[in-house]
Amino acid sequence: MYELMAWLEASALAEFLRGLGIWTYGIVNLAHILGIGLLFGTVAVLDLRLLGLWQSIPVATIARPTVPLAATGFVLAIVSGIMMLSFNTTEYHGNPFLYIKLPLVGLGLINVAVITRLPAWRRAMAGATGESTDRIVLPIAGAMSLAIWLAVITCGRMIGYW
Amino acid sequence: MKHLSIYPVAVVLLLGFFMAAQAHHGWSGNTAGDVEITGEVVEGVSLAGAHGTLQIRDADGRVWDITLAPGPRTHRAGLREDTIPVGAEVTVHGERHEDPEVFEAKVRRVIWEDQVFDVYPPRD
Repeated sequence: MYELMAWLEASALAEFLRGLGIWTYGIVNLAHILGIGLLFGTVAVLDLRLLGLWQSIPVATIARPTVPLAATGFVLAIVSGIMMLSFNTTEYHGNPFLYIKLPLVGLGLINVAVITRLPAWRRAMAGATGESTDRIVLPIAGAMSLAIWLAVITCGRMIGYW
Repeated sequence: MKHLSIYPVAVVLLLGFFMAAQAHHGWSGNTAGDVEITGEVVEGVSLAGAHGTLQIRDADGRVWDITLAPGPRTHRAGLREDTIPVGAEVTVHGERHEDPEVFEAKVRRVIWEDQVFDVYPPRD
């Protein structure tokens, strides 16, 4: 882990960012917050729908704006997150919140891959009549997603306080 | 399901917020009391990253990692990356790391020759 961190800290990207001036870190941090806001804001709406709120609105209707915005927010957060880490990467060596957060981000992605392959999700997206088990499967999927991203954000916020 | 309450979600969010508020800003780990260190600058002030940094070697040869205020704030206090040359003798006031084997301090004040840089307001 330390070798990987030292590599990122010494990378051309890190050198470039450190040379950009005193406000650079703050601006990259701003991009990270905007990414998180987009991701969690849209994911929360979709997940709460899967959990059973706002049943008069079809899942597919809610998914149309929320899924692409969540994906945009995710990419923004990943890119800015790597940039933020690159400034002083080795300073975070041994930081438990970072070490919990990174696998959780991976778990969040796996969760997305699983949910979008579920027959229950496909039926909901097609606007088809759900089977009785869908009323259990979809809320579980929504709860998993909400819990994972909440945990990711909590760990991320705590990194700087360790 | 129709009447699923939003309150459990609100409670979880508030709990997360409360935990965040409990963790005091930035000084975690640097709580072992006030320290004053005089030494030679081995790595000059850097204002990139979350906080400004500086490295000094004290009279016993120990190299201290010094954390300053965030870049823009340190800059506003008059301490620029090119202000203090490497090799100059400086004195810093702040709080050291709680682990006595770790030579790290988060500082409020840097003194170089006749110049005083209060990167955080002085505590009187």
